[in-house]
Amino acid sequence: MSKSTKGILTTLAITAVLMMSAAATYAQTTGSVTMTATVSNFVELTSGGAVTLTGNSGGSIITDGTANSPLAVVVNLGELGPSNTNSFVKLSVPLRLRSNVTYQLNMVSTVAGAGATSFSLKDTDVGFGLTPAARPANLAPGVDTNATPGDPTVGGSTDVNGRWVFAGANSTLGAYAVSGQVLTGPRVNQAVSASSNSNLTVPAIFAIKPQFFDPAPAITITAQFTVVAL
Amino acid sequence: MPRQTSTQITKFILLTTLLVVSAVSCLGQSTTGTVTMSATVSKFVEINSGGAVTLSGNSGGGVTTDGVTNSPLAVSINLGELGPSNTNSFVTAQVPLKLRSNAPYVLSMTASVSSSGTSASRIGAADVGFGLGTISRLGIGVNTTGTDTNATSGDPTLAANGSVNGTTGRYEFTAVRSNLSAFSSATTALSGPIIMNAVPRSNANGLTVPAFFAVKPQFFENGTTTISVTFIVTAP
Repeated sequence: MSKSTKGILTTLAITAVLMMSAAATYAQTTGSVTMTATVSNFVELTSGGAVTLTGNSGGSIITDGTANSPLAVVVNLGELGPSNTNSFVKLSVPLRLRSNVTYQLNMVSTVAGAGATSFSLKDTDVGFGLTPAARPANLAPGVDTNATPGDPTVGGSTDVNGRWVFAGANSTLGAYAVSGQVLTGPRVNQAVSASSNSNLTVPAIFAIKPQFFDPAPAITITAQFTVVAL
Repeated sequence: MPRQTSTQITKFILLTTLLVVSAVSCLGQSTTGTVTMSATVSKFVEINSGGAVTLSGNSGGGVTTDGVTNSPLAVSINLGELGPSNTNSFVTAQVPLKLRSNAPYVLSMTASVSSSGTSASRIGAADVGFGLGTISRLGIGVNTTGTDTNATSGDPTLAANGSVNGTTGRYEFTAVRSNLSAFSSATTALSGPIIMNAVPRSNANGLTVPAFFAVKPQFFENGTTTISVTFIVTAP
């Protein structure tokens, strides 16, 4: 051990002895513990459960929704031409929302592979809407504001050219070529455990009227939902 | 001593890492989700009845099973007497056809004529005139661009489409594809571009065209004759 090291250790030992003596002389009667913490904004979107596909001809659910799992649903809608004699091909996808703050649910969508003539299937031919119900008592009180007209298969009519038009504003994917708000509301959850299953489940409905669209063998429609805290 | 210190430091780092990882896991929240849909629009072509049949120039006979607009075409007609006791110029059956498609179409026809007669004077396929009339693309949702090509010569009773053979005296339908002998195998009668715009199937409009069948009453060999015609529409 070097001389300098020995000197430092000696100094530390003397200091400790002096402090212990002082403590013994002046009795300490209080103490404090200070804690800091944070509650961050929390918003969450997951699947609300199994999807429902109706009116399809040759379609199927490829990847179904699983409640409380990440939403990554894949569905084959089947035939959308006139050989499908059903009124609508309709897909209902349950969304599950949780939050401790005011939230906003946005959506952005695309339609690809349908062709480019005026008779090709367009994003405006894909009806969309949310059908939220009143919040149950186990959620934070408040009203959710639906920016869509609801079930797109309700209402609607043919235009002067005979093409089907979905009723109301924001009723088709044409309104969501860029990200747009579809639902907003106050905090969803009360102050409950993160493991609590209480949530706001909202069906998202997609619908297409089979029509004399241009033939297209591989149409892909995507809808991406994003929830943000306001 | 240094070894113990090193061990403690390593444990501390591992514990800290574990806590950080746990914290990140707990705070991990899903804020996005996707719905991916695939679909198909297949080629669609359709032929139906365009409405009631018109039978004229007949002697006896009648429409046994009439056409009903937008119903499957399954018409049955008794042309009546085709011998010289029928003094009309022609026995004519006009059968309205209705076509719809979301793609270019081809309408083909196959015909057969069978007779109980055995001589050259029996009714044959060449004695049955045929042609498609005026093509109509009318109504909301019907595409009016493009041109339909009629491969027949139109109404077979037109003077330009037939005449008495100067040598044999037999009346003959002479124009291009103006009689059923041209359709002993599937042969194009009409073709054209897409018929319907992007409208629902419930839209009842479409392309309508009358199919004319005509027989000139002549001194045919007596007997019974059956004429069978099948239309097929395809999307090439």
